[in-house]
Amino acid sequence: MIAMLRECGLAHKTIIFVLNEFDYFAQGKQRLLYSLLDAMQSVTSQAVVIGVSCRLDVDQLLEKRVRSRFSHRKLLFLPPSKEDTERFMEHILSLPVDSSLPHNYTVEFNARLKKILSDERFKELINTYLSFNSTIGHLVRFLFQAVSYLDLDVGFLSLENFKTALSSMQRQPKLECIRDCSILELYLLVCMKRLEVKEQNSYNFNSVMTEYKSIHDSFQTSDYYARNVCLRAFEHLLQHQLISFADNRGHNQSVEFRPVKLLISLAELHQGLKSYRLCPMFYLDLIKIGFWILPLVQACKLHKIPAFDSFLVCYVNYYCCGASFLPLKMVKVAFSRQLS
Amino acid sequence: MAKEEGLQVTRRTTRYSASNNAVEPTKPTEFYKPTLNDLGFRQQPLGFEDLLSCFPGRSTQVLELLRLLGPLNSPMFPVLVYGGPSTGKTSVTLQVFRHLNRPFVYSSCVTCYNPRILFESILNQLWFHRKNSGHSYSSVKRCERPSDFVNYLREASESVIDNLKGNSGKLSSKLSGQPNGTMVYLVFDNLERVRDWDKSSTILPFLFNLCDILKMPEVGLIFISSTSPDTYYLNIGYLEPIPLYFPDYTEDDLRQIFMANQVNRKLYTSFLDVVLRPFCRVTRRIDELSAAFSSLFKKYSEPLSDMEVAPNEDMKRRLFTHLRPHITTALNETFQVRSQPLLKAETNQETKKKNSSRMSGIREDFDKMDFHMSTSAKYLLISAFLASRNPATLDASLFDSTGVSDSRKRKRKASEKSMEQKKMAEQELLMKGPGTFPLERLLAIFQCITSLAEDSLDEEGSDELTIEGGSGGLMSDVLLQLSSLCNANFIIKGGSCPLEGSTRYRTAVSEDLALKVARSLKFPLSKYLYRR
Repeated sequence: MIAMLRECGLAHKTIIFVLNEFDYFAQGKQRLLYSLLDAMQSVTSQAVVIGVSCRLDVDQLLEKRVRSRFSHRKLLFLPPSKEDTERFMEHILSLPVDSSLPHNYTVEFNARLKKILSDERFKELINTYLSFNSTIGHLVRFLFQAVSYLDLDVGFLSLENFKTALSSMQRQPKLECIRDCSILELYLLVCMKRLEVKEQNSYNFNSVMTEYKSIHDSFQTSDYYARNVCLRAFEHLLQHQLISFADNRGHNQSVEFRPVKLLISLAELHQGLKSYRLCPMFYLDLIKIGFWILPLVQACKLHKIPAFDSFLVCYVNYYCCGASFLPLKMVKVAFSRQLS
Repeated sequence: MAKEEGLQVTRRTTRYSASNNAVEPTKPTEFYKPTLNDLGFRQQPLGFEDLLSCFPGRSTQVLELLRLLGPLNSPMFPVLVYGGPSTGKTSVTLQVFRHLNRPFVYSSCVTCYNPRILFESILNQLWFHRKNSGHSYSSVKRCERPSDFVNYLREASESVIDNLKGNSGKLSSKLSGQPNGTMVYLVFDNLERVRDWDKSSTILPFLFNLCDILKMPEVGLIFISSTSPDTYYLNIGYLEPIPLYFPDYTEDDLRQIFMANQVNRKLYTSFLDVVLRPFCRVTRRIDELSAAFSSLFKKYSEPLSDMEVAPNEDMKRRLFTHLRPHITTALNETFQVRSQPLLKAETNQETKKKNSSRMSGIREDFDKMDFHMSTSAKYLLISAFLASRNPATLDASLFDSTGVSDSRKRKRKASEKSMEQKKMAEQELLMKGPGTFPLERLLAIFQCITSLAEDSLDEEGSDELTIEGGSGGLMSDVLLQLSSLCNANFIIKGGSCPLEGSTRYRTAVSEDLALKVARSLKFPLSKYLYRR
């Protein structure tokens, strides 16, 4: 390569090396980068190396010897401004006048498009969208979806197309996953959340099963299934990626003993349970019990309040701060369990 | 085309097997040469109404996919079809292509388990090359690196598209069942497997960016995955494909699916009324439900002498009471495929006319092992289980030379502290799992146990099987047995101990299975188990 560079230098030809996804080149030993930059410095050649990357700190990734040969010039490309985006959209969506389509149609189409683009509701919609993601690639994808909603009978774009495209972009995959789960799987998720609230940092399938059993004992639920069925539900949760293994030791142990962690937050779980069509309200209450009462009881223990009545006073006070109420029976049961 | 067994088991005929019945490997000269027609779905084209009726509950997804694919010859953005397992993603996609009759190339990341096989499979299909013994099952081009793949793919697609363009003008193409249009679609199935590959950090972004890299609007990409798009975390900016979500079936959809192709619809409706709701609380996956329902339906219709009859209220009640005990057992088992002798045992028990005895009979069947193992393998498994369960210091007292062990702890009054310690120890056992043991310990325990077994046999004076030459007959292939137990995942081979450098093993069987094995050998396992 050095010989080639020399040749090109003698022939007064400049070579530009463009390295896309530059951070991938900066992994590992960076031999390519080093030899390239070295060749440029030591040979009479006219060459430029331009690296393109998404990471802002990519020059921190370079090794010392490479960085010393780097000229430290950085060009920052910002996402386009709002005006530029609007101009871009108009340009990309309007039909060219000299295409093979009939002339009247293209004129009409472009006129309607202009009307939509200047509509206030459309501007609002685009603002919502851009606050979510303002890269051009994503915008093109959004526009493609809007165009695909085009009603072929009508033949013109309408504001509804853009609205439907926007709503289809706003998805929440974890929420969808929760809605897909069966009731037993939700139950296991609730058990794991309670274990987390109890500050048991690492837990595995067996500890979840003990929690499951203890809930069944104290609350007499109807959903009590055998261990292998629960193991299968557990594996479904792993497949859905709602939980995952917390260790990397891999296949040294069977599924039941490997520690797991939840990949959804309490808020997501709560929201998912609320929107689940047939979810027993009981599960929501279970989480609420775990989340609110347990710390409350622990606090009561610290202050040495033994009686249930005084605890109830604290409970009511706490709940006046904005949490939701639970049936009294559940409160009693949870309280007695905690104190035992 | 929706079968009762669920959409995952569709009879998806491959393009080659559908189009030729005459590939005879004995004649080396006559090999099937795929042509352009093979890129389409070589079956009767499917009308739109048929497409929708094939997939109950999936009409929105079908319509969305049709909308994203667009009219003929319209370029498309990459699409990611995702949803839970057995929700019909692959079958819907393929049937949509059959309906549209457009050329596509299908490859699954399960069968193509590394990048090279994936690339070569796609290129083989595009170049109409079939691996045969004529050129020793080689692909048309060796392709390992993504850069080569892009170049070859461009060449291949261009030639296919030229072919399609050339033929699309002629009228005869429509008659000969050629696929429509001048676009080629690449379908990548089971994309979630790519995350587990070695080179997944480069291959995944490559696949997602393939649209950009290739820069050919005539090639459309469709990815099918069973995990949602947010599980593909990539560091670089990549073109996110348009997601198309396949939710799990609702109960009504499940009912429609199960009702399809049923002979006696009224009977099956009453059956579903009874079982669908409780089973849906456990799982909504259709493959598991269909496995459970098929056996339950047989039991449900047992009292009926005439299968064609439509049941009235009275009969429904009778059938329900007959089925009810079976529902609870069925809810608590997963994928029990009964072998023949167990069925016979059940029919014997039914003649006893007692509900309770039948229930206990079923439970007894569960206590027997339902697969075969050789005697030495069983002893090895038991010794592995004991080695994992008991601490090493106890071995000497349990397996002393007289062969008599006395591990019954004297009953001491449990003090508060010891109860707490017991609880902690139990917790630890739950968390840590079975312990590891080196090979030597396993063999030592095995020796002790088998010598015990021989002694007991000698005492009984049985003349059934005499073990020749002491324990020689049992010890001969112990190491072979050990490796086969490891392969069957009964024993897990762990890393080597840092001090000694020998590999350590760990049992992966549950206590139930070990007890079953011990019972089949008449070995008193509970005497040897260390109970804290």
